[in-house]
Parts: sequence; structure tokens; C-alpha cells
Amino acid sequence: METQQSNVQVMGIDAGGTMTDTFFVRADGRFVVGKAQSNPGDESLAIYNSSVDALEHWDRKVDDVYPELATCVYSGTAMLNRILMRKGLDVGLICNKGFEQIHSMGRALQSYLGYALEDRIHLNTHRYDEPLVPVSRTRGVTERTDVQGKIVIPLREDEVRAMTRELVEAGSQAIVICLLQSHKNEASEQRARDLVRDELKKLKSDIPVFASVDYYPSRKESHRMNTTILEAYGAEPSRQTLKKVSDRFKKHGAKFDLRVMATHGGTISWKAKELARTIVSGPIGGVIGSKLLGEYLGDENIACSDIGGTSFDVALITKGNFAIKSDPDMARLVLSLPLVAMDSVGAGAGSFVRLDPYSKSIKLGPDSAGYRVGTCWPESGLDTVSVSDCHVVLGYLNPQNFLGGAIKLDVQRARDHIKAQIADPLGLSVEDAAAGVIELLDLTLSEYLRANISAKGYNPAEFTCFSYGGAGPVHTYGYTEGVGFKDVVVPAWAAGFSAFGCACADFEYRYDKSVDLGVAQFASDEQKAAACSTLQEAWEELAVKVIDEFVINGYKPEDVLLIPGYKMQYMGQLNDLEIVSPVSSAATADDWQQIIESFENTYGRVYANSARSPELGFSVTGAILRGMVVTQKPVLPEDPDAGPKPPKEAYLGTRPFYRHKKWVEAALWKMESLKAGNHIVGPAIIESDATTFVVPDGFETMIDKHRLFHLKEVK
Amino acid sequence: MSYTNEQVSHLVEGSLDWETTFRMLSMPKDNSRFEQYLAALQAKVSFKDRIVLPLAPHMYIVQSAKTKQWLIKCDCGHEFCDYKENWKLHASIYVRDTEEAMTEVYPKLMAPDTQWQVYREYYCPTCGTLHDVEAPTPWYPVIHDFEPDIEAFYEEWVHLPVPERVD
Repeated sequence: METQQSNVQVMGIDAGGTMTDTFFVRADGRFVVGKAQSNPGDESLAIYNSSVDALEHWDRKVDDVYPELATCVYSGTAMLNRILMRKGLDVGLICNKGFEQIHSMGRALQSYLGYALEDRIHLNTHRYDEPLVPVSRTRGVTERTDVQGKIVIPLREDEVRAMTRELVEAGSQAIVICLLQSHKNEASEQRARDLVRDELKKLKSDIPVFASVDYYPSRKESHRMNTTILEAYGAEPSRQTLKKVSDRFKKHGAKFDLRVMATHGGTISWKAKELARTIVSGPIGGVIGSKLLGEYLGDENIACSDIGGTSFDVALITKGNFAIKSDPDMARLVLSLPLVAMDSVGAGAGSFVRLDPYSKSIKLGPDSAGYRVGTCWPESGLDTVSVSDCHVVLGYLNPQNFLGGAIKLDVQRARDHIKAQIADPLGLSVEDAAAGVIELLDLTLSEYLRANISAKGYNPAEFTCFSYGGAGPVHTYGYTEGVGFKDVVVPAWAAGFSAFGCACADFEYRYDKSVDLGVAQFASDEQKAAACSTLQEAWEELAVKVIDEFVINGYKPEDVLLIPGYKMQYMGQLNDLEIVSPVSSAATADDWQQIIESFENTYGRVYANSARSPELGFSVTGAILRGMVVTQKPVLPEDPDAGPKPPKEAYLGTRPFYRHKKWVEAALWKMESLKAGNHIVGPAIIESDATTFVVPDGFETMIDKHRLFHLKEVK
Repeated sequence: MSYTNEQVSHLVEGSLDWETTFRMLSMPKDNSRFEQYLAALQAKVSFKDRIVLPLAPHMYIVQSAKTKQWLIKCDCGHEFCDYKENWKLHASIYVRDTEEAMTEVYPKLMAPDTQWQVYREYYCPTCGTLHDVEAPTPWYPVIHDFEPDIEAFYEEWVHLPVPERVD
């Protein structure tokens, strides 16, 4: 690379289950992607190895580069794995008397969360995971607050004290308190919290106490209880993992403060009070990265699509914003966390392919070969055909250069398995059977993508589709063909896109609180002002929390940009919309008018103007406060246009490629050597170490100055 | 998809790990399962008669080793009758038809009124295993609940030769 001296500024980390990706960006927009085997025992080591791998491309050393970095964002599965493996703290739980089993029961639906549809509808597959807190460490206290927030039965204080002693005796390492309706009236729960603390002091115990109102004051009891338990159960151990990562960075001279990708789409410090929201982070990175790319390209509407080995994730960005889901489920738990809305289908590049023995139809997944690729990798120990096997047989993938040549694939072995398991029973040739599998996958994905866009009332022609993930570019043509997108974009760094996206995210905390406000269309000015003051009170309460978080990281309150928001719906309707507030503080009837106007505009845009129903009145269901500070973000490369003809050194020869019942010779190109402005007409395959971009006949692609490939159907 | 004999005997014992059990439940049935299942059951019983079809957790239709007649037989070796007959008529029967008898199995006022419904329990006369419970109205005849077409099952469903039978 020519400008060797440019500083490395930003690092993104995606520590996945099998591979740990790192992504480094220089001040001039050049980037490198590094990969290393994940190491669940010590994540910091895998990150280090991955960094070494990435920086080798630039002939740089970790000890030289870490001190240069201004920003580093981590996303990973540390928290998630801790929950899945049930390796958290021994938590004690205090809830309302008679509700001790609620956590174990998981609203019944936790017995089938995460299942494919076929398994959901069959009761015999339903199963309850071991609860995070066993009933033996759960105590029910006499207390009741009703749905309006009125205390009907006061808290029995002596019971709380006795329970505290019992829970400590039972070996609790943390105590969670979650009482009914505490989001509506926090008095009893806070009193219980103070009593527990007082009793612990008497016992000379310093175990932490978590009251749900202090963390997640949102309606839905199971969600709130689960989330608070998650915080107590997993956050502290995860903080230790992150501290280890941060310590290793410091050892190599890093001066930045490590940040973690959180479910709401911002990044938070590893020192943050609420770490439960780091439970899912990798896939969110892709959405954030797409948003940033969209801003560069001037695209407001983006369909983000990410194909991994096991699943296909779709998220939509409309008018420059992604949607937030407030009560998602993760790790088979219902939770109350803001999560960037995504939809997934369990079909990916590593999905297993089987024939239904009765109907003889091809079935994909739901399980997958994962890191074991498929039968084409002799060392995998697999004997069930995977989608990757079909790709290898049809010439999509280079058997000599899988993961940059890290493993060699055996084409004949894949052929034999496809012949025995799929082709012979169907009376097809191996090629046609394999091509059938690919067509089925492409069809499944494109139907899913199309349905996701049109079901929300949008037209694909108004959307640009971004395709990423290690396996994304292999399928891009297949799942976008015929959908009618405005543009289809494949970033050259598709494989490291999630890590890139994390590096793009703002340093942003977000706190939510449920509120219940109902105001009629023609309410009096006093009523409107009263509603404003309730909302304002909630914002102020949240502001204290947001600012506290930044203070932990050494920021001054005045450095923090606060962005209030709210969730609103027409009274009696079921779905609310999240709105960024048009007023920075709410007090007067005039402020209220702006608040509802902003909602009505959004409503009209999301649904239709004619569907607006102001005559029903307006409900505010939640207050939101986001706070952010300025951080260094990656810049995109700006390459000079080198004309449509690709340079000679990029050409690698040809490979036989099978599609539409015939073999053709596809031109092979080296992705790294292609220049801005180059134009390639299919059949062609563009290869790099980490990903393969397939451009079949009938398609063409152009690489732009930001190293983004634009894929088009040739009409 | 296929499983080892060891996995299938764990399945029979109820000690198979959840992940494998889940896969078995959600995938189409593996071809060799019935044979493996019979082998696992056969290994658990002490008699030499060949198991033709399981009827209940502790009851089988077997092919008598001596006569090749098909019989209904308990785990313990007790022979009820020919496979075409209703074995319940050869079992020890206990009928719960009083409130007192009902409160042995249900809390008071939470059991059926015995004027309307009774429980009939069918036990093995030799080992006392409870093989089945009926919950009919008091006058209802003994139910013959299962008359399997074993020939069709072997030949057309699992594609195995039908075991020899002498009536």
C-alpha cells in the first residue's frame, strides 16, 4: 500500500463463536481485516492474534499500532455464552408472594423460543431451560401495588429482612428485587432494596443488590424480572472478561478506552452499569455500518442483509433510521431491552441439506455445519451434505483458497455425498441436484427479503440492498434477482463488515422508562401541559442515569449531547412508534402540539396519511433518553477512478462454473487488485481471502471509489 | 440420519441427552429405528421369546420361542393371552367406584363423581405392574383399545419381513 505512514485510527472487533475478526481503519480510509480462531478461555488472546493477522497486511506491529488508535469497539458473544452455558453468579431473588415460580415459567413461551416453526407447533419438543435463579433461592414477600400504582398491601418489612438473611445463608452472590408494577410506583421496591442493603450491612456482607426500577423500569413483569436477573447474573463476570481485554490492550500501549456494542445500536463503556444489553452485539454492527454507508451514498432506505453460516438476518433502515424493538427475546429469555430490530431465518451458507424421506423434497437446515463447512472438508467428520458442498461442486468456491487457503476442500468427496444423498434418490445429475439446492436457498432468502419489505408497507424499488457477512457475496445475485432493488451493494470488506459497523457506532447510552399518558385530541391546555410535565419528569430521571454513565468514563456532564425521545400511539391502538422528540424539554401545550405533530408525521410515513386517527387521542407509552459524546469514526477510502478496464494483475484465469443447466468458464479476479471504476461482466468470480463475490452471466458489477461493488442485472 | 444402538437404548431408558432427543423429535424418523428399538427392548427382558411389537411400556406382543404363537406378554414373563384377544380380560382389575377410593389418588372434591365416571386399573397378576387405566362411565364395557395390523406395519411401513406365526 502506497501511503504507509498514515495513522491507524479505528479498530472494530467481532468476537464470534468460531472466528474473531478485527478491522483496522487508517486515517486515509484504507482498512485491513484480520481473522483468528476464537478462544473462549481468553478472548483477549484471540483478539491479539487476529490483530497481528490484520496488521501483517500493512507490515505493522501491534505494539506500534495500538498506541495510535483513537477508538476501539468490541462486540462479541462473551455475555451470551455465559448465559447459554449458565455460568453466572448464584443470584437470590425477592419477588411478590405467590409469584415465586414466575421466573421458571418464563411466560410458557420460553419453552419454544428460538425454535423453527415445525418445532414450535409440536408440543413434545418444548422444553424449559434451567432457570437463572432456582426456586430454592427465590423468596416471595407480602406486598401488592395495583396496576394504577396504588399500594394495596404495604410491604412487610420484617419479611424482607428475614429473606435477606435466608438468601445470604443459601449462598447468594447477588440479590435481585423485582416487585409487581414497580415501573408504575417504585416506592415498595425501593423500600425493599434499602432494607436488603441495611440487612446486608448488619451481616457485614457486600454482595450487590439490583432493584428492577433502578435498571429497567418498564412494563411486562417477566421481561423486567429476567433483565434485572440477567444483569446480576452475567454482567459482573462479563465485566471481568472485558477488563482482561482492556488490560491486554493497555499492556501493548493502548490509550483508548474500550467500548462495547450494545443492543440499542450505540456503544457503551465496559465500565457501564448496565452490561446486560451487550448480550447481542455482532449482528447489530452490520446495521450500524449500513447506516453509515447509506449516509455516504445518500441512500435513506436500506435493506441490510447478512448471511452467515447458520442464518440470514434482515434489517431495514428507513429515512436513515433503524427500528428499535423494546421487548425482544434473546438466549431463550424474554427481555426488556431496546434492540435494533432484525428478522432472521434459519438458512445460511452452512445449512445442512437433506431429502425428506416421504415427500422427497429438499429440506434446508435448521441445523448447520457451522465452522465444519461440509463434507467437502475431509477433517470435518461430517457426512451430511451442506450448502457449501453444493457451492464447491458447482465452482462457486475455490477449493484451494477457502479462508485464504487455511483449509483445503475435497471436491470429489462432496460430489460423492451429494450423489448418494440427493442426486441419486431424485434421479438427477450431481450438478443439477446441487444447483437445485442453491436455487432453493436463493428463493427462500429472496422471498424472505421481499416479504420483510412489502409486509411493512414498503416498495423494494425505493431500497438499496447491502449484502455482507462472510457468505453474503456468494448469494447476493441469487437473493436479489428479480426483487427490484434500486441498487445492490457489496462492500469489499463484507467479511469484516460487522466489526466495521461496530467501529462506526456512536458512544451512546440509552435509557428507557415506561410511562402511561393518555390525552384526548382536543384536551385543554392544562391537560396538555400536565402530560408534558410527566414526560419531562421521566426525561430528567433518565438524564441523571445517562450522565452518570459518562461521568464514570471521565466525561463532564456538559460534554454529553442529550437526545430525548418518546414512544407514542393513537389511544387504543396496539403498536407504538418511537419518535425523536422535536422539543428538547416539554412544558407547555405548545410543546405537546409539536410532540403529537412529529408523531403524526412519522405515522403517516410509516403507514399512510389517510390511516392517521387523531380523533382517538394520543398515548405516550415510554420515555427514552439517549446521550452521546463525539468519537472518532472510520472514514471510507476515496480512490481515483481508474477506468472500466480492470488491471492485468487482477486477472487470475478462469474456472468452470455451473448455472442454469450448463457449465461456463467464469473469469476469476483478485478483489484486492481491482481498482475504482473497474467494470466486470459475468460470468465472473471475484475472490479475496475472506469472501467470494459471484457475478454470474446476466449480471455485471462496478467498483466505486469507496471500494463498494454495485451489482446490476443486465437487461 | 441414523443413531447408534447405544443412543437408542438411552432413548428407551429416558437417559438420552436433550440435544440428541431434540434432533430425533424434529427430524423425519430414521429408517433403522424400529429394529434398533426392538433390539434395545429385547436386551432388557429376560425371556427368550422374540418381541414383535411393543404394546405399552412394560407389555409386548411376542413370538413364543417354543410354539411360534404370538402372545401378549408382560416384562416379568407373565403371558396374558393370544395377541388377537383383549389382554385386559386376563388382567387383575381394580375399579375405583367410591369416593373413598378416589380420594386415594386425588384430593377430596377434585375427583370425578363415581356415579358418572369410574377408574378401572389393569394389573399384571404376577408382578403387579399397572399396565393401563380406563376412565369410562360405570356401565361401559372393557375397552379393546389396540388391534394392530402387524403384517401391514412390517411389510409396508418399516419394510421388514413379518416374523413367523403359528396360530
